[in-house]
Amino acid sequence: MAYSVLIVDDSQSMRKFVRRVMDLSGFEVGSCWDAANGAEALALLRTHPVDIILTDINMPEMNGEEFVAELERHDAYRAIPVVVVSTDATENRIRRMIQIGARGYVVKPFSPEALRSELERVLGVAHD
Amino acid sequence: MTEMAMSEAISAAAADVLETMFFSPVMGEAAGDGAVPAAALAARLRFSGGRSGTFAVRISNSAAENMATNFLGEETEPPTASQVQDVICELTNMLCGSVLSRLDSKAHFDLGRPEPVDPLEAAPPESVSRAFDLGDGEVAVFLHLDLQP
Repeated sequence: MAYSVLIVDDSQSMRKFVRRVMDLSGFEVGSCWDAANGAEALALLRTHPVDIILTDINMPEMNGEEFVAELERHDAYRAIPVVVVSTDATENRIRRMIQIGARGYVVKPFSPEALRSELERVLGVAHD
Repeated sequence: MTEMAMSEAISAAAADVLETMFFSPVMGEAAGDGAVPAAALAARLRFSGGRSGTFAVRISNSAAENMATNFLGEETEPPTASQVQDVICELTNMLCGSVLSRLDSKAHFDLGRPEPVDPLEAAPPESVSRAFDLGDGEVAVFLHLDLQP
């Protein structure tokens, strides 16, 4: 099954890299959308339903924490699993993002296998 | 926090980040006298939280271009200068996060946005630094912790 994915990161290079790593890992991506911050991502979600969201934390305008909290406030978006992709590996940050609604967390640097494993865990998919 | 601990954290983070995300393994310590390469790029950011300070990366142009090509997967078109600088900023961001997490996994910290800087002015004063040979050039990493009040 191919998944519709939204990648949220203020670095265009990072958005491109995440897409590339998903492809390298064998994770099946159908449609792939990207946004530079949480506000852009919310606007995009109004017209583009997705199966999973990958988001950075440190972004201008609406950061990852604000974005995840906002998703939890909307009935239409609450069920979409969110995986945080961040350089922050501290226990407090990981705990905080899970508490506010993220279902998964991947710390940079990450291998293609690690990313796919976390995406599939969050989606409840068995790995081939 | 000792200089040795900071130096070891930089070394471990560089090996991990460069190989895993940028497919640019560290070949060893950079040889030479630490002089700034003639053609180089640099980026710097400020961080705050449990500790505050400055983190910077300086990399020779050749290594930066290859790194950007590896990162972006551009096999047919070489990356633009803007893309290369963006990748180096991302490298700075990732290295800083990795170093700070290794120094204290329980602390809270916030990273500022990495900004391009003049390579001649990249190194914060009184910083701990390490330089690594990437085979196609060098990367130098600088970490300065502000004095605690």
